[in-house]
Amino acid sequence: MTTTTIPPSPKAPLHRPVSPSVWMKQNLFSTWYNSLLTVIFGVLIASVIVALIRYLVSIDTEIIRVNLKLYMTGRFPAEQLWRLWAGVFVTTAGVGLFARAIVRTAQMKATTAGLEFDRSTPWDIVRRFWPIGALVVFTLSFTQTITPSLLTLAAAAIGLAAYWLGGGLPAWIIRRSWLIPLVGTTAFYFVLVGYGGVGWDLWQGFFVNIVITIAGISLAFPLGIMLALGRRSSLPVVRYLSVTYIEILRGVPMITLLLFGAFALGFVIPGDVQFSLFLRLLVAITLFQSAYIAEVVRGGLQSVPRGQVEAGQSIGLSPWKTTRYIVLPQALRNMIPALVGQFISLYKDTTLVFIVGLLDLLRAAQVSTAQPEFFAQGLESVVLPFVALYFWAGSYVMSRESRRLERKLGVGVR
Amino acid sequence: MTSTGAFADATQMGVTGETMIELISVDKFFGDFQALKDINVRVGLQEVVVVIGPSGSGKSTMIRCINRLEVHDRGRIIVNGIELSHDIKNIQEVRRETGMVFQQFNLFPHLTVIDNVTLGPRQVRKLPKKEAEELAMELLTKVQIPEQAYKYPGQLSGGQQQRVAIARSLAMNPKVMLFDEPTSALDPEMIKEVLDTMQELAESGMTMIVVTHEMGFAKEVADRVIFMADGEIVEVGTPEHFFERPTEARTKLFLSQIL
Ligand SMILES: Nc1ncnc2c1ncn2[C@@H]1O[C@H](COP(=O)(O)OP(=O)(O)OP(=O)(O)O)[C@@H](O)[C@H]1O
Ligand SMILES: [Mg+2]
Repeated sequence: MTTTTIPPSPKAPLHRPVSPSVWMKQNLFSTWYNSLLTVIFGVLIASVIVALIRYLVSIDTEIIRVNLKLYMTGRFPAEQLWRLWAGVFVTTAGVGLFARAIVRTAQMKATTAGLEFDRSTPWDIVRRFWPIGALVVFTLSFTQTITPSLLTLAAAAIGLAAYWLGGGLPAWIIRRSWLIPLVGTTAFYFVLVGYGGVGWDLWQGFFVNIVITIAGISLAFPLGIMLALGRRSSLPVVRYLSVTYIEILRGVPMITLLLFGAFALGFVIPGDVQFSLFLRLLVAITLFQSAYIAEVVRGGLQSVPRGQVEAGQSIGLSPWKTTRYIVLPQALRNMIPALVGQFISLYKDTTLVFIVGLLDLLRAAQVSTAQPEFFAQGLESVVLPFVALYFWAGSYVMSRESRRLERKLGVGVR
Repeated sequence: MTSTGAFADATQMGVTGETMIELISVDKFFGDFQALKDINVRVGLQEVVVVIGPSGSGKSTMIRCINRLEVHDRGRIIVNGIELSHDIKNIQEVRRETGMVFQQFNLFPHLTVIDNVTLGPRQVRKLPKKEAEELAMELLTKVQIPEQAYKYPGQLSGGQQQRVAIARSLAMNPKVMLFDEPTSALDPEMIKEVLDTMQELAESGMTMIVVTHEMGFAKEVADRVIFMADGEIVEVGTPEHFFERPTEARTKLFLSQIL
C-alpha cells in the first residue's frame, strides 16, 4: 500500500501557543476600559470567593449530621429501614441489567449494520454521572456510623455484578428490555410494602421526592402523549375532551391542584375508598404535568412535515400506524430538550407537596430548623443550600443527558 | 373545440387493453379554486403514461387523487377495479395497490434504509421480519444500492435516496406506480440513475403514471403523453404525435418554451 501525505495548505491558520503574559495582554488589558473592567471584576470575584470560603469553614453541619435520616427518609420506621436498603439493591441491580441490555441492543444494531461499535469507557460514565456520585459521597460524609457507607458500596457492587451478569441474559429479554424496569419496579414495591412492610403513607424525605418524580414522569408522559394525540383526533368528542382537559389544567396553579388533591379529593370521590395523601398528590402532579407534556408533544407533532404522513399513507399504513411508527418517533426526537425541561420542572415541583404537609426533603429541612437545639440560629442558611444541592445534581444530570441523547439521535440532521 | 378530440384520446389505452386506472369526470376544488376540471383518463395494464404541463396545471393534484392524498369532489376514480369512496378500508386497499414516489423523497429520516423499505411489508402485508428483510435486500439490489442498507437516509445522496424511495414503494408489491416529479429535486448528475431505474421498472411491465419535465424520458419510455394546463387535459397522444405534430396551440407554446 502506498500512503500519500497531503501537504499542509499554506493558508491554514497556525495555532501557535502564546505565553500567559501575551494572552493576558491581548484579552484582558487590550484597551484602558478593558483593563478597568478586568480590575473591577477581578476584585469582585476575589471578594466573593473569600466570603464563600469564610462562610464554608465557619458553618456547623451538626444539624445535617443529626437529621440525615429525617432528610432522606422522613419518619420511615427505623426498624424497617432494611427494606429501603433492599429496595436500593433492587434498584441498582435493575439499573445494571438495564444498562447492559441497552448496550447490547446498540451493539447488535451496530453489528448488523457492519459498523464499529464505540463502547463508552468507565471514564465516560463518570463524566456523565459525576454529580450523582459526588452527591452520594457527600451524603455519606454526614453519616455517624460506617454501615451506610458499607451498604452503599454493596449496592454499587450489586449494580456492577448485574451489569456483568446482563451479558448472559437471553436475547429475547434483551429485545424486550422494558421488562427489566417493569419487573424491577414490582420487586421494589414488594420489598418495601409486602409482608408487613411500610405503606406509602410513610414514604417520606428525599425518597418521596424521587418516587414522585419517577412515578410522575412514567405516568404523565404516556398520558400527555395520549392527550396530544387526542387533540388531533378526527373524533370531535375526543378532541374537545382533550382540549378542555389541557386548557383547564394549564390554567390552574399547581398549588391549587395539590391542595385540592390533599383536602378536597376525599369528598369528591364517592364511597369510603381511602386514598393516602401520597397517592392523591401523585395523581394531582401527574394530571397537572400531563397537560404541559401534552402541549410539548403537540409542538413536536406539528414539527413533523406533512410529506412524512403522506409517505406513510402511500405505503398503506393505517392512520394509527402512521402515527405510531412515523410521526411520534420523529416528534419525540424533536422534543427532547423541551420534554426533559418539563421533567426537570416536575422534579423540582415535587417539593411543593410540602405545602400540604407531606414530609419531603424540603419540609424535613424546615422541620429540622425548628427543633429545640437548632431553633432560631439561622440554620436555614445551612440546610437550604444542602437541599438545593440534591435538586441541582438531578436536574443537571438530566439536562446533560438530554443533550447527549439529542446529539446521538442527530436531531436537526436529516 | 378540439379538446373533445384530445378527450377521446385520454380514455383510449394502449398495450394490453385491460384497464388499470380510470378517472371519470373528476373535479377537484381547493376552496373556490378549481384545480381539476372534468378529468377523464384511462390507463391500461402495463402502460406508462407521462404527464406534462406548466406549473400549477394540476398534475400533482391529479395523481394525488388516485391514491387519495387529495379527495376529489366530483366524478369517479377506479383503481384495479376498486372504486375510491370515503370508506377507509377501501382507501387503504387502493393505497396498497399503488406506490408513490415524491419529489422530496419523503424517506423516514429516523429509520435506516432497510427499515424504511420493510416498514410497509411488515406492518401492512404482515410479512415476518426475516422475509421482509430478504425482500428489501432484493429490491435494494434491484435499484443498485444494497450496500447502503444500514445507513440512514440523511447519509445518502439525493439520487440514492430517491432509489430507496422507489424500493420502498415496490416492497408493497404495487400494481401501479405514481411518480410526482421524481427527479426535480436532484442534481443533474443524479437524474440519470433515477430515470434508468424507472425505465427498468417500465420495461418489467409496471403500470406507471409519471409527472416529469424530463422530455427525454417521455420520448423514450412513455406509451402516451398527457398535456395538462389550467386543471384540464389539453392534449393526449403518443410521444411521436406529441413531439412532432402537436395539434393544440397551448401544447405548441409549452413545448416551444421547454425544448
Ligand atoms: N392544498 C392546496 N390548497 C390550495 N390550493 C392548492 C393546494 N394544492 C394545490 N393547490 C393549487 O392547485 C393548483 C394545481 O396544483 P398542482 O400542485 O397540482 O400543480 P402542478 O401541476 O403539480 O404544478 P407543479 O409543476 O408546480 O408541481 C395550483 O394552482 C395550486 O396552487
Ligand atoms: Mg406538482
